[in-house]
Amino acid sequence: MSQSQTQNAVADTVFDVIKSRRVSRTFTGEPVDDDLLAKLVNAARWASSAGNRHVHKFFITRDPVKIRLVRSFSPGLLSEPPALIFVLTDHEVAARERLQEGDDANAVDVGTAAQNMMTMAQALGLGTCPVTSFSKSGVREVLGLPSTLTPELMLMVGHPVPVDRSLRTNAPKPVRVKDLTYWEAAGQHEPS
Amino acid sequence: MPPQTKDSTALAAPEEGGSCVLSEDQALRMIAFLTSAAEISIHEPTYYGTFRLVDAASRLIAFMLEHDPPRSGEFLRELKTELDTKKVWMMWDRESYFDFLRATPAVVAAEVKRQADEDRAASEVSA
Repeated sequence: MSQSQTQNAVADTVFDVIKSRRVSRTFTGEPVDDDLLAKLVNAARWASSAGNRHVHKFFITRDPVKIRLVRSFSPGLLSEPPALIFVLTDHEVAARERLQEGDDANAVDVGTAAQNMMTMAQALGLGTCPVTSFSKSGVREVLGLPSTLTPELMLMVGHPVPVDRSLRTNAPKPVRVKDLTYWEAAGQHEPS
Repeated sequence: MPPQTKDSTALAAPEEGGSCVLSEDQALRMIAFLTSAAEISIHEPTYYGTFRLVDAASRLIAFMLEHDPPRSGEFLRELKTELDTKKVWMMWDRESYFDFLRATPAVVAAEVKRQADEDRAASEVSA
């Protein structure tokens, strides 16, 4: 197999993982092994980080009591998964790196870390769902976090219960990449 | 005395004969949910607020069902299934979701009226 063929095979595999990922909100009761959770966080660690600042920390819990308490303050957490991984802003690192309030790069870094974890989870056969609809102050309190750490996003992680998505008779048509893409000029959907 | 429930901390309904349908812990969790929903509604799209309210109703029903409410149990089980099935339409079929929101209070009203009619009939018999 040539180098080009090998690269294409790798790209196809990566794209299959990306494309097959769906949000999972229903999980079996099976716990998620610690080494799998560690792999997810390792994937997050390799996400792009603006200025290589690494302002974020990751908090993992598999404690059902903690997860139940977190859910009380998280309207976006529609069920209680076997594990949650939080992406936290470390304000001590942010201050050291002179991060400005409202710097969009901070949110981008949270997103890239979450996406890496979701992609890795899909490759490992796990289901995930990112959640940002929660009270940061409430969740910080029930997790016992110091004021220097702010939860920005939580990722539900578990072994997904298969969902029959064909039931969605009223689902919208899939978005085409062409409709989302401009080539060289706004409104131009094809390469010239 | 109101009837005893499985949970000794259950809140008693004030009226004679009322059922205990929420424990103190469950009430606190509802308060946590509602205050958190209020906070995130500051920055989320306005129609998300409707979803939070419907989800709160579903969570409240889940707590109530743990106490086997004698008069409303069957109705609440069906309503919860309806709420949980259709609330997620918000994410991909907003018009159908809004139609569901418009229709749901009438479903609840029918049950409230049914119980009120039962109470009236019972009071007339006892008088």
